[in-house]
Amino acid sequence: MKRSLISIFALFISAVIVVWSVPVQAADEIKVGIIDTYSGPPSSYALDVLDGFKLAMNKINASGGVLGKKLAYVTRDDKFKVDLGLTSAKELIMRENVNLLVGTINSAVSLAVSDLAKKEKIPFIVTYGKSSNITGAKGHKFVFNMNENTEMIGKAAAIGLSKRPFVKYWIAGDDYEYGHAVADGVWNHLKKIKPDVQLMGQSWWKVGEPDFTPYITSILSAKPDAVIVATGGAGCIPFLKAAKNTGFNEKIPMFMHTATELSTLRPLGLDAPEGVIGTSNYYFYFPETDANKVFVEEFRKAYDRYPSFGSLIGWYTANFIAKAYEKAGKVDAEKFAEALTGLSIDTPIGPLTVGKFDNQLMLPMFMGVTKKVAGYDFLIASEIMTIPAQEIVTTEEEVKKAREQK
Amino acid sequence: MDWLSTLTAGGLVQQFIVGLSRSTILFIVSSGLSLVLGVLRIPNVAHGSLYMLGAFLCFSIASLFDNSSMGFWIGLALAPFCVAFVSLVAERTLFSRLYDREHLMLLLFTFALMLLCRDAVKIIWGSEYRSLAPPVALQGSFSVFGMLLPKYNLFLLGLGPFVAVGLWFLTQKTKIGKIARAAAVDRDMVGAVGINVSWVFAFVFVIGCFLAGLGGALVAPTQNINQGMDHTLIMEAFLIVIIGGLGNVWGALLGALIFGLTDSMGILVWPQFSIVFPYAVVVIVLIFRPTGLLKSTW
Repeated sequence: MKRSLISIFALFISAVIVVWSVPVQAADEIKVGIIDTYSGPPSSYALDVLDGFKLAMNKINASGGVLGKKLAYVTRDDKFKVDLGLTSAKELIMRENVNLLVGTINSAVSLAVSDLAKKEKIPFIVTYGKSSNITGAKGHKFVFNMNENTEMIGKAAAIGLSKRPFVKYWIAGDDYEYGHAVADGVWNHLKKIKPDVQLMGQSWWKVGEPDFTPYITSILSAKPDAVIVATGGAGCIPFLKAAKNTGFNEKIPMFMHTATELSTLRPLGLDAPEGVIGTSNYYFYFPETDANKVFVEEFRKAYDRYPSFGSLIGWYTANFIAKAYEKAGKVDAEKFAEALTGLSIDTPIGPLTVGKFDNQLMLPMFMGVTKKVAGYDFLIASEIMTIPAQEIVTTEEEVKKAREQK
Repeated sequence: MDWLSTLTAGGLVQQFIVGLSRSTILFIVSSGLSLVLGVLRIPNVAHGSLYMLGAFLCFSIASLFDNSSMGFWIGLALAPFCVAFVSLVAERTLFSRLYDREHLMLLLFTFALMLLCRDAVKIIWGSEYRSLAPPVALQGSFSVFGMLLPKYNLFLLGLGPFVAVGLWFLTQKTKIGKIARAAAVDRDMVGAVGINVSWVFAFVFVIGCFLAGLGGALVAPTQNINQGMDHTLIMEAFLIVIIGGLGNVWGALLGALIFGLTDSMGILVWPQFSIVFPYAVVVIVLIFRPTGLLKSTW
């Protein structure tokens, strides 16, 4: 009796497994597996990406879909952890039978998933990872990056800063990979463009440093012409707050890559410091083109908030996917990857092209200065200067060199 | 040695003052920890959680008043009392049953409490960063002889002595303070002369936690309020208590001064390796005075 019970139970379990492992995918859809951080502080960026993606996807599906099929997506939360991200990616490929993978904000997760994508020969489009290794040293045929990377940040900031009269610099930042990568990128390129710049000193604090005041006052006593602040997601907002509280921004000009981005300035409201120099790939109020106005209008209508750079990434990622499949002519991983390389589409910030030799999206960069402007309950960027994509993208030789060195 | 040329007397003074104001926060929090450690013999790892709770409560109370300056003052006044109330409930229902247990048990228990507090904060406030502006009157800084002295830090600096004197008065001059000190030395004897030791302990515990909440509320405008703020602080607070002498409130004052000042001076002198300075001092102190600088009550 007992044995038959066990066998019935085993039969039931195996039936469940069989039913579950039947491809859930309908024949008439292209399924995108999105892995990103949907819990914790980075989730605000990930949700912006997702909303932008949905906005574009709905529009594509409403006008007939791609190759007669509908675009669809499933999401998985990687909780900012490499092991979870990798497990989700495997699960999406094996059980959900996704046609391609999209994500994530964590560079380490992006690199791990990229390795898997290479093995499984499945396209992987990185949305918010900023490591230049993704398409540089660790790049391959199936991985694409839709975001700017630390090399591009460095080049753009160096070009922008070289046009300002600063000579004596101080570097300060979060003591981890991203902080050092950004600082090195800016400094090395700045020294190349403007050889007379001097580095007076550096301050590195641990990630999550609670109080920046002693660091700020020590930089003040050194009296540099300008400070390059290399903080990652967790440090930007508290550093800007401390800069405002101490009046630092009124004494010494400072550059911080993400300082002018909506995602940084919105949470600070009117408590953000004015006069901080920052670079961003997108502002909802710049460039003032019709395409951008339409995008902002549609996004606001759908989600009742302004789109950030993340929303734009999500939006053009979906459009790139649709256009690449149409160019490939059929739903095939290899054909899709070949089609996406070198592909161009029109976006709210003008036409954008995926790099031919590294699959890195060639993005222009805008350098602006934070300012209070009537009509907004947060600060926005002013005196915006455009740095064209051609000046900051990685060259073919640089990509070759990086890939040989690994 | 590029940095040496940039050192000036003004810079030193400015850094000293910022360091002192940081010491104030460290003193307020670690004196509470030391009090609980000395009298109740509880190594309260959850002390940092109460500090975090103080910061979050101050933020929430201030946001009830539209984040106005008045809102901050009300938050600063109320948050420590809310924390004290939470700790009173915890003491009466949980801690009071555990006083006779060995230290390892107490350590594990307070550690569990810390994890629970962290998740409770996550459920109530979510995991986003929170930001609270200092009151308008304390924003920006004074410029004195080319030095930039942040107003809020000066405010903290002014508050420190009041807390220290208040603690001194409480422990040395009031009856309950005297009983608490006696209980720290020999709790059985105090019980034998007819004093309800259990309530004395509750009182001391609540005072200790009140200080944690006060520290949290005071620190809220200077940093971002998030879930990680408990563990960074509890490490520093324990180190301060250890170098000062376990359970000695004045040791906590001395430890906080040493820790806060070496930290800020280290940042000025050698910014790339500043993280090391306070910990190096802790190592040196422990080599020469393994039981701490002042007399330990343990």
